[in-house]
Amino acid sequence: MNALIQASLPQKGWTWFSQALTQHSSFSGYLQPLIQMLVPLWTTDAYRAQIIEIRDEMADMYTLVLKPQTGLIDRQWPTFVAGQFIELMVEKDGARTLRCFSISSSPAYYDRTGFIELSIRIQQQGRITPWIRQQLARGSLVNISAAQGDFVLPEEMIYSQKPEKLLFIAGGSGITPFRSMLQQQALTQKTQNKQSAELDIHLLYYSRNNQQIVFQQEFEQLQKEYPSITITFVDSEQDGFICAEHLQAYCSDFLQRTAFICGPSPMIQQTRKVLAEQGIEKEKINFEFFGAAPIEIENSEQGIVHFQASEKIVISKKDKTSTLLEQAEEQGLSPVSGCRIGVCHQCICKKKSGVVFNTRTQTYSDTGSEEIQLCISVAQGDVVLDL
Amino acid sequence: MTTNLASNRPDAETLKAFENDLNSIRDQTMKKVGEKDARYIRKVIRVQRSSDIVGRISLVLGFFNPLFWLAGVALLALSKILDNMEIGHNVMHGQYDWMNDPHINSRKFDWDIWGDGASWKRYHNHEHHTYTNIIGKDRDYGYGLLRLSDDITWRPKNRFQFITYTLLSSFFQFGIAYHEVAGERIFAGKRKENSILPISREELKHSFFAKIKKQVFKEYLFFPLLAALISWPMFFAVLAGNMLAEFIRNWWTASVIFCGHFTEDAQTFDEAECENESRGEWYYRQILGSSNFEGSRGFHILTGHLSCQIEHHLYPDVPAHHYLDMAKEVKVVCAKYGIPYNTGSFGQQYWTVVKRVVKYSFPTEEEQGLPAN
Repeated sequence: MNALIQASLPQKGWTWFSQALTQHSSFSGYLQPLIQMLVPLWTTDAYRAQIIEIRDEMADMYTLVLKPQTGLIDRQWPTFVAGQFIELMVEKDGARTLRCFSISSSPAYYDRTGFIELSIRIQQQGRITPWIRQQLARGSLVNISAAQGDFVLPEEMIYSQKPEKLLFIAGGSGITPFRSMLQQQALTQKTQNKQSAELDIHLLYYSRNNQQIVFQQEFEQLQKEYPSITITFVDSEQDGFICAEHLQAYCSDFLQRTAFICGPSPMIQQTRKVLAEQGIEKEKINFEFFGAAPIEIENSEQGIVHFQASEKIVISKKDKTSTLLEQAEEQGLSPVSGCRIGVCHQCICKKKSGVVFNTRTQTYSDTGSEEIQLCISVAQGDVVLDL
Repeated sequence: MTTNLASNRPDAETLKAFENDLNSIRDQTMKKVGEKDARYIRKVIRVQRSSDIVGRISLVLGFFNPLFWLAGVALLALSKILDNMEIGHNVMHGQYDWMNDPHINSRKFDWDIWGDGASWKRYHNHEHHTYTNIIGKDRDYGYGLLRLSDDITWRPKNRFQFITYTLLSSFFQFGIAYHEVAGERIFAGKRKENSILPISREELKHSFFAKIKKQVFKEYLFFPLLAALISWPMFFAVLAGNMLAEFIRNWWTASVIFCGHFTEDAQTFDEAECENESRGEWYYRQILGSSNFEGSRGFHILTGHLSCQIEHHLYPDVPAHHYLDMAKEVKVVCAKYGIPYNTGSFGQQYWTVVKRVVKYSFPTEEEQGLPAN
């Protein structure tokens, strides 16, 4: 709605003209199926990228090297800031499926090579992450979104004259945005004519055990070359999860540092708690819940339904079976609805993430973003809705 | 007369078994839905978009040879029929929502016809599909213009309803646009006390006029004017071509739809009897209130597979090109439970529609005031 109000008059006129002639809000939307005959995977709402290489990092983790396409027909992919993520869109069994992945390489690397990297952990029960590994090959095309997300280093920090001190805490595959930030620091230091002070970075990198450390060699090399970067590998199997003692032992000046946390959600919660208890102000703790929510439908006792557009949050118990439509209405929202039995498709709403149970087809949904019918959907765990 | 459901319906146990059989046909089909369906609908969309573009160019080429003009009309009519029937109707039923494609999606799609897609969806998918052929609830039954059952009191205007029917078919796109926003209620002030409109009258009026303005601009102004750049009489040639293409589409869609619910044996129902229906009872009523007709594969595509109206009413959100295969199984299930399954050739079915329109243009004997004995 806002976008419509903000659109300038000529823009609005053009949209009206396009709607009048094609029933689509853009001519390219109407012509897309024809354009795709010449330019495969061309779409109005995403960019095309080619797979340059697929590199196995570990048994359950691989890296896609992508080259966003440029040319006459492809719009220029807008560049990104270290720490941001993109949506990778693939068509599986005719259905477009979206997954968000942090870019694990740096903007500086993109400037030099035109490549970006996505490092993807294979979710054991996942439908998409193992499939992508098998399905895509060198040369395949995929669709990607523009980069999004605000888990980035603030600009004033990057261009600050005094050396800013940072504490990165990564859990497992939550290392990817940090790899981007570290690589950025390394590549820009080599070239830059020292306009700003170096960032003093300490990374605490938790991994499941000492055989499961992605990018280990690369990080050890970085540490050797750049004195401003310190990396501590922590083996959770042996040393346990993060606690105050770890901070004291590995990074004694942690109180002076601004913290960035990325990893699975229990790890983030735990880390935030520990840091807060140690007296670090809230403003100095940044975090990002990483990747797809863990698939643990059976275990989740309660879930949070987040109505994003209206900024409302409901906590629903697992044994309570009210539909998302009922929950929205209890919150005083009035989504369009009709038959309430799943026939009329009027209450369709965009689910941004999370798993829902469809009471009509008796099936569980995918974890990613897709359209759902509110009147026959019951949240399973945390769900984010664009409502 | 409305069918007395209570005394005709099979018993609850039979209906439950019937429901399970129909559900399993749905489940078996949904397992097959996937990449093939995505490819299919994209192909139909490509054919439609190409015939739209080539048709409009061809109309203008009529300047050199009238045969081009004729081909243009045919292609434009084809484009509109495909857009309305196999693409628009089915996409807006949510049959392809699983593709997660922003342009092939029930929430966004709008079709090349006067009726505004969102208004149609609001009314049609909900009221017509839930209350199919219930007199007083399903406003599609006769469109408030035609008396197609003796449950509706005869009025003098019904005497001329064959003419009304002819006009409705000719201007079907206006009829649909007006009907879907409940025009008689929002414009003429015929307000039902208990009517609940999902959005305000002003919004309904706005979407009604906004869509018609766009369509009038495109068909009667923009493309004719573009052609007039070549030579001014071409304005009228293209205008006439566009109108003729719309006229063909109007008659085609109206006839297909009438054959779906107004054939001789398509039954009507009473509101009270349909309260608290089980799924099985609902299936049963959908079958009695709908009728199919047969034809070649291409013919079915042009009807948007509404030639399988029965299957469409049982499974409105299953991709429609599966209906032909499903119909074979539904027919077997109906035979198993002794439930009538109304089908025939297009010609046969259409003839019974015409007969029905004529038959009910006369009052019943009672209404004629004949002695009741």
